[in-house]
Amino acid sequence: MKHDTLVIGAGIAGLQAALDLAEQGHKIALVERNPSIGGRMISLSKVYPTLDCASCITTPRMASVAHHPDITTLTYTEVKDVTQQADGTYKAHLIKKPRYIDEDKCIGCKRCEEVCPVYIKDEFEHNLGAKKAIAIPFTNAIPQYPVLTPDQCTWCGACANACPVDCIDYVQEPKDIFIEAGAVLVATGYELTPFNAKPQYGGGILPNVITSLQGERLLAPHGPFGRVLRPSDGKVPDSIAFVQCAGSRDASLGIPYCSRVCCMYAIKQAMLLSGSLPTADITIYYMDIRAFGKGYEAFYQNAKAMGINFVKAKVGRISEAEDGNVTLRIERQEDTSQPDEVNHDLVVLSLGMKPQWNPATLAWDVETAVDGFVKSPEAPLNPATTTCDGVFACGTATGPKDIVDTVIEAGNSAMVIGNYLMKTTGTRPGGQA
Amino acid sequence: MNTPNNNEPHVGVYICHCGGNISDVIDVKRVAAELSEYPNVTISREFPFMCSDAGQKLVIEDIKSGKINRVVIAACSPMLHELTFRKTLQRAAMNPFLYEHVNIREQASWVHKGDHEGATEKAIRLTRAGVEKILRQDELEAIQVKAAKHVLVIGGGPAGIKAALNSAARNLQVTLVEKSARLGGHLNELDTVYPAGESAQALLHSLFAEIKASPLITVALNTTVTAWDGFVGNFTATLSTGESINAGAVIMSTGYDHVIPAAGEYNYGADERVVTLPKLIEHLKISSGKPLTWNGKSVQSIAFIHCVGSRQTEGVHTPQADGKVNDYCSRVCCTAALHTINVIKKQQPELNIYDLYRDIRTYGRGHEAIYEQASKNGIVFFRFTDDAQPEIRENTVVVKDVLTWSEEVEIPADLVVLVTGIKQGAVDDLVSMMKLPVSSDRFLQEAHPKLRPVEVANNGYFLAGTCQAPMDLIESSAAAGAAASKIAAVLSKDFIPLDPYVARIQADKCTGCEACIPECSYTGAIFMNEASKKAEVNAALCKGCGACVAVCTPRALDLAGWSMDQMDAMVDAMVAEVPA
Repeated sequence: MKHDTLVIGAGIAGLQAALDLAEQGHKIALVERNPSIGGRMISLSKVYPTLDCASCITTPRMASVAHHPDITTLTYTEVKDVTQQADGTYKAHLIKKPRYIDEDKCIGCKRCEEVCPVYIKDEFEHNLGAKKAIAIPFTNAIPQYPVLTPDQCTWCGACANACPVDCIDYVQEPKDIFIEAGAVLVATGYELTPFNAKPQYGGGILPNVITSLQGERLLAPHGPFGRVLRPSDGKVPDSIAFVQCAGSRDASLGIPYCSRVCCMYAIKQAMLLSGSLPTADITIYYMDIRAFGKGYEAFYQNAKAMGINFVKAKVGRISEAEDGNVTLRIERQEDTSQPDEVNHDLVVLSLGMKPQWNPATLAWDVETAVDGFVKSPEAPLNPATTTCDGVFACGTATGPKDIVDTVIEAGNSAMVIGNYLMKTTGTRPGGQA
Repeated sequence: MNTPNNNEPHVGVYICHCGGNISDVIDVKRVAAELSEYPNVTISREFPFMCSDAGQKLVIEDIKSGKINRVVIAACSPMLHELTFRKTLQRAAMNPFLYEHVNIREQASWVHKGDHEGATEKAIRLTRAGVEKILRQDELEAIQVKAAKHVLVIGGGPAGIKAALNSAARNLQVTLVEKSARLGGHLNELDTVYPAGESAQALLHSLFAEIKASPLITVALNTTVTAWDGFVGNFTATLSTGESINAGAVIMSTGYDHVIPAAGEYNYGADERVVTLPKLIEHLKISSGKPLTWNGKSVQSIAFIHCVGSRQTEGVHTPQADGKVNDYCSRVCCTAALHTINVIKKQQPELNIYDLYRDIRTYGRGHEAIYEQASKNGIVFFRFTDDAQPEIRENTVVVKDVLTWSEEVEIPADLVVLVTGIKQGAVDDLVSMMKLPVSSDRFLQEAHPKLRPVEVANNGYFLAGTCQAPMDLIESSAAAGAAASKIAAVLSKDFIPLDPYVARIQADKCTGCEACIPECSYTGAIFMNEASKKAEVNAALCKGCGACVAVCTPRALDLAGWSMDQMDAMVDAMVAEVPA
């Protein structure tokens, strides 16, 4: 298959860039390692500072991409290698992972999911909920194909029996796909900094210490519990703490940089919590509040006016207290530096961002910087270029960034890639002279 | 067109839950049931997310089944998803204007949170009105205007230059208008740029070289836009040089101004030791490498005070000229100040530097390392709150430091640097000429921060850089590229489609009274035909505001898609009985 541009990653950055390129007449191959497009954004609750629901902004983008005649979407597909060919174009070796269904036959009726007797942890809910061993990944997933998880499937045959179109294929194998493209865009996004990076915070051990993305799911309209409950006992929490910089600005974790979004998402989650639990006490323990974007400072001031407590303190240790509660040992950095112990029902660790993928492992010249993100050697004037001619990057692949800044970078990379292709191929995108 | 039983309108009604945004307050099942009983409604459904792929498919399948030929979707604001659903109808090969978007989120569920019954009833009334409106809708067609392949870029700073270069790369003619005598904007003031420390001059030279090499770019220095007219695809700009430009689109890259501290704020203007950060940067640039002196005196210790002109609080700070304080964060000043501090410390490690801040916001890639370096350089940080501003005394600054038990600390300072913020440039004339939307912080307002971050709601206007909000050079470059990308898409086609909701006139009813002419705010949108002595409408110029319709006594004027008949029927539907 020949395309103008290969876009790697179908989160909001990849979706926006693919759409902008396609609007200019490009033919795009969009590769996504997950079974659905939509990236991290589709799993968020609401987005700051407008408090639009994340689904309301993401799903239409997903639908536009899925229906665009010039965008070929390859989901559940990994990039094995990308190499530059003699003529300067790129050839990508992709591997399509087996869903164990025949996608040409599947009608997305969910009968398999209904009859499957095996419940497994739901990754989309960050393990707060359960799904079936064969399931469509989430409500708004595109495409609406179920995925079978072979490790946990008991091969009972219930799904195959129930499928009205006979599309279950238990012996499906990974498939090699080769794509040729004039340019490549790396829009591979981020993952959270490790939950257990600071063992003294109890991440992954104390049930009522959760990650910020778990916090998003608790607040999402289709979340795991349908309302805000704490994981250990289903109690409605009365007192919730956010621990800022739990994975960033900490050289001891190897992540000395600021993750840029955590202050704002914590404030947002705090506001949403205070909306659904009006009597709850909500405290944000922080180092600096970095509300730097358009409308962000006003958002922060609104949160203060709503009664959310902001305490400048470093959290030293988080331990278990009675009844599943959690004790934070803190050192206040204002007024008194006396250590103090405070109790909360539920603690959200505001984890930071680290790169989802390391493109420097492939046989091309794309380099990463000391922070692990893709290096932008011409950043001040050309933030989209990388160390490899013809390969571009945008969004959180080049460092932590919020959605607004990511969407703008995606638009810029669409411009820069179009310019590059005009120069290298002498044609306008889409092959017009 | 897929319109079965063409004379008989069949309406499909879809009620969106919007996750829980609507359905937590409004009984969506009741609304759908109520509407299913309503005359001419053939299908009435409710669905968790109408904007999702599955939701849109529902509409497409109903249209393709031949059961409906009109669509009403009751969901969020049309600002968000009217265009989404127009495309849905197009995919079903149906006229996209045979659809009405009813807002039951902002106008019902969000504003009547505590009144489920009342909100549900209101949703029923609004949706019924939507049905009545679409029953009376004509099969409108988008107005097609010819696109001039010419971009006007206003403002020749880095954002404007990048926008011009990118547009020219797509074979569009560009006029780059700059009011001052040179290109480069505020980048001219800098020596090096954070975070990597590139030379500002080198960056500017590379930009200037690219501009020179592009035959498609015309640079107009010492030039402003003095008059403005037209519409997307066909704007006419009159320049101060007298020249007239016909442009298909315009990029606003008018940049920012430095905030000037209020008279007496931190003794600014009275005490010659008190300067702004831009002044200090200029001074360092001129005196490059030499030991820092101020007014001929050597400097031993410097105090930087952050958030001057930013993050202001009403009642504490002196308001700006428009009576409002700058309550926003200026985004770039923390890192700019620390970058400057490190530059000074590198030259003169023996200098004592104190940094008085509220929050250190070194948010960007590589910024935290600059903060880290400043700490390593021995800078002493003090944190103050907005209600306890540092005080300038003779040779010292006194700060109530919240990091150390709110103790009052007196700091020696030969030089006090006010880290001033940035504010909207002088664009009032452009804003009023072009009728541009402005946010509460006075910066130009984008159509939607995530869906359309570089576009203005008005067609054909785009934003690049700090006229929209504070941003650094990297972010401005990205915004300029994104804006040019949108323009490349719009102007790559020969014709641009516009909404058909414009005034139309029934010539036989027009009495030629001319009452409509002075009401129109858009030059040339409505005019008298000298021969027929009747009013005529230029559809491309008309914005569909309806001012002319309101004064037309013989009812010769009407708005397409918002006709008097439609309004009458909507009002009747809204006040009709709703069964309990």
